[in-house]
Amino acid sequence: MSAVLQSLVNQPYKHGFVTDIESDVAPKGLNEDTIRLISAKKNEPEWLLSFRLDAYRKWVTMSEPDWQNVHYSKIDYQDISYYSAPKPKNKLASMDEVDPELLRTFEKLGVPLHERAALAGVAVDVIFDSVSVATTYKQKLAEVGIIFCSISEAVHNHPELVKKYLGSVVPVGDNFFAALNSAVFTDGSFCFIPKGVKCPMDLSTYFRINTEGSGQFERTLVIAEEGASVSYLEGCTAPQFDTNQLHAAVVELIALDNANIKYSTVQNWYAGDENGIGGIYNFVTKRGLAKGVNSRISWTQVETGAAITWKYPSCILRGDNSVGEFYSVAVTNNFQQADTGTKMIHIGKNTRSTIISKGISAGHSNSSYRGLVRITPTADGARNYSQCDSMLIGDQCGAHTFPYIQVQNNTAKVEHEASTSKIGEDQLFYLSQRGIGAEEAVSMIINGFCKDVFQQLPMEFAVEATKLLSFKLEGSVG
Amino acid sequence: MSNSVTNSNDYLQYLLKSWSAKSASKLTGLNQLRAHAIDSVSTQRLPNKYDEEWRFTDISPLARLTYPPSQQQLRLQFNDIDKFCLQNTNRLVFVDNHYSPDLSNVADSQIQILGNLHSLMSSHASTIESHLGHYAKFDHDIFTALNTAFLHDGALIIVPAETCIAEPIHLLFIASQQEVSSYPRSLVVSGPNSKVTLIEDYVSIDQSPYITNTVTEIRLAAHAQVKHIRVQRDSKQAHHLASCAVSLAGSSQYQSICVSLGARISRYNLEVQLTGENSNCTIDGLTLISGQQLSDTHTSIDHVKPNCTSHQQHKCIVDDTAHAVFNGKIKVRPQAQQTNSSQSSRNLLLSNTAKVDTKPQLEIFADDVKCAHGATVGQLDSEEIFYLESRGLSKTTARNLLTYAFAADVINRIPVTSLKQQLEHIVLNQTQGV
Repeated sequence: MSAVLQSLVNQPYKHGFVTDIESDVAPKGLNEDTIRLISAKKNEPEWLLSFRLDAYRKWVTMSEPDWQNVHYSKIDYQDISYYSAPKPKNKLASMDEVDPELLRTFEKLGVPLHERAALAGVAVDVIFDSVSVATTYKQKLAEVGIIFCSISEAVHNHPELVKKYLGSVVPVGDNFFAALNSAVFTDGSFCFIPKGVKCPMDLSTYFRINTEGSGQFERTLVIAEEGASVSYLEGCTAPQFDTNQLHAAVVELIALDNANIKYSTVQNWYAGDENGIGGIYNFVTKRGLAKGVNSRISWTQVETGAAITWKYPSCILRGDNSVGEFYSVAVTNNFQQADTGTKMIHIGKNTRSTIISKGISAGHSNSSYRGLVRITPTADGARNYSQCDSMLIGDQCGAHTFPYIQVQNNTAKVEHEASTSKIGEDQLFYLSQRGIGAEEAVSMIINGFCKDVFQQLPMEFAVEATKLLSFKLEGSVG
Repeated sequence: MSNSVTNSNDYLQYLLKSWSAKSASKLTGLNQLRAHAIDSVSTQRLPNKYDEEWRFTDISPLARLTYPPSQQQLRLQFNDIDKFCLQNTNRLVFVDNHYSPDLSNVADSQIQILGNLHSLMSSHASTIESHLGHYAKFDHDIFTALNTAFLHDGALIIVPAETCIAEPIHLLFIASQQEVSSYPRSLVVSGPNSKVTLIEDYVSIDQSPYITNTVTEIRLAAHAQVKHIRVQRDSKQAHHLASCAVSLAGSSQYQSICVSLGARISRYNLEVQLTGENSNCTIDGLTLISGQQLSDTHTSIDHVKPNCTSHQQHKCIVDDTAHAVFNGKIKVRPQAQQTNSSQSSRNLLLSNTAKVDTKPQLEIFADDVKCAHGATVGQLDSEEIFYLESRGLSKTTARNLLTYAFAADVINRIPVTSLKQQLEHIVLNQTQGV
């Protein structure tokens, strides 16, 4: 490492913003200068800037994918501001210093930060727009050697780790949105669990989009070393806007030998109003690499928000005996569109994967399950079980299944099942006969339908998800 | 697609040239159809692996095979085709897509119209014009467009209303020349309350390379019942490209059994449209391939009207370095309530270099429906083998027996005994490998 880099790296962390540039919102548009500006604002080392520029150069040669089963008006990528930061105040050393305005918003969204931190023992890394504002429980985690911080912080304090793993699972040119994210990502979470450490608490990040017109490009990197294990929660909510906002996040998970990563998401971005105006475009690339033997990566997601969801949390099962899991509930209502699913790439021997996907469509919405199970010739004894069920509420909505199954090894066993159903009159009748009101009965049936997935969620999330579902489908039945 | 791309394509260029040399038919409607098709060909290109529908089937070798359309020659004797014939059937024989009346065997009957499309064109112009090209659309399908453009001889079956044809109709398409392309065409119009069994059979005299590009259209009027058995046993060096479009009116029943054994590369598109209430279809498929064969089956079942039923089962047995592809789409349109649809894709890999890509696909826009699909890929169950071994069977015999049983499930559904026995033999022979 050159001396210049060394000095850059060793600079004290400035919370991600530099005061010598006055504007807190970068001018709209994307070119190499924007990227240099983001990089400069974040005081980034040279290698990260070249990582970004490399991604940008790949991005300009790529075209937006059009194979997915969603329809939206073209995004003008030059009409988006690629950087925005909350007004810089004092340096924040503790929770008390967090802007009370901000705290109140979280309160409204049902994220009682203090309570959550104290009662539930969850360390919350709050992201407000693009810059990490508060990090809790860091010390407690640091005692066992866990690094849990914003990615910009990690770039400065642990550059060797970031440099080694960033882009190793999702390469900069992986797809259109991943390339865009790699070029302009502003912040996100970084989590490193060292060898043999079982993370003592669930780690959690709450995302939130605030400034109108600023796309948010989160970057999350979770690394579990040999024998480590971690459960990571991600949840998001967004307030009402009229213009569509782009959200193109990238999440990379790396599990080494015997490591275990569980990644849970409750997604409730603003979905647009009942006429389909507004709402977030959620184009996310999530991928986990089960690199070591006996490693395990588990994705659980509850997707209820966003005008458009385009998301395929995937597992590359490279280590022998590694395990990949995907549990998903996707609820769409009004004019929402969701094209979501997973990819399970079996490379190692005796790798196993399970896919449970539940789609519920109501109103004029469309939800698609799109999955890939690929058994490569080296994956002897690989095993996959997939189940994807859809439920339709009303006759204006659609449910679609596109499971791709590609098998090149005859010792593998792959099973796929899918079904479509509605809430039966007889089911409703049975429940009302037992004295349960219609609304409650529907919510009960839906929760039963989703049970397999909710069981995978950590307790607090499961409660929240159940409520969210009832709330989302309010008024769409009977 | 721009013309420059099209023009650079030798294969299409070659075909377009040979088309202009073809003689015009008497019927103006037919000429129009052919002219439209040829226009459509010039705006299309050969699909490649970047086209979703052709993702797993690389037909780029086709572009290098500039085989001329087949000419009539080489008179086959009945002895040459005896082994393909079935007892107690009406038989229409096409040799390299030229109708061969000498080899055909059509019982003299007033009740049905059965014969060569070309020769019946003047006497049944209105029926032909109102059905031919109405189900197999060619705007987005280059091979259907080519077939339509080269349309000449073909099988025509018109079953009048309230008629039951007891003897199955055997359409035998024989390839006898090498390095030619032929464009067989069949049209089946089944009147209200009629009943017919159809066997569409593609065979070859020897193992030579050629291209078969075939299109079949079947229309079922209300309460009609059609059983359609399709056997593809082309030469192992042939390219077989096929489309079949079926349209069902209310309360009609369509049963399809498709057995795919031959061809180096084969592709079969089956499109069934349930356009009337209470219609139902059953579709079964068996693909049995080995060596370097590639067999691709794309089916689409479109539920347009309410209260229809569809059941599908597709099985693939893949050996050596062969590659099987299955794509089954079920579409339920918004008004098609009370649809009941099931689909299963089961695949057996016999060697560790065999490959299968399967995609059962559901597109559902109605809420009061029952739709399910399933797919499995695997090898023979070791416990089943163990069971048979414990009964004194050798491992090889046990394996062969189980493989045969896997295929027999589909073969057993064939309602024509003589054909069933022929196929049982073929499957038995092919599954006796060690």
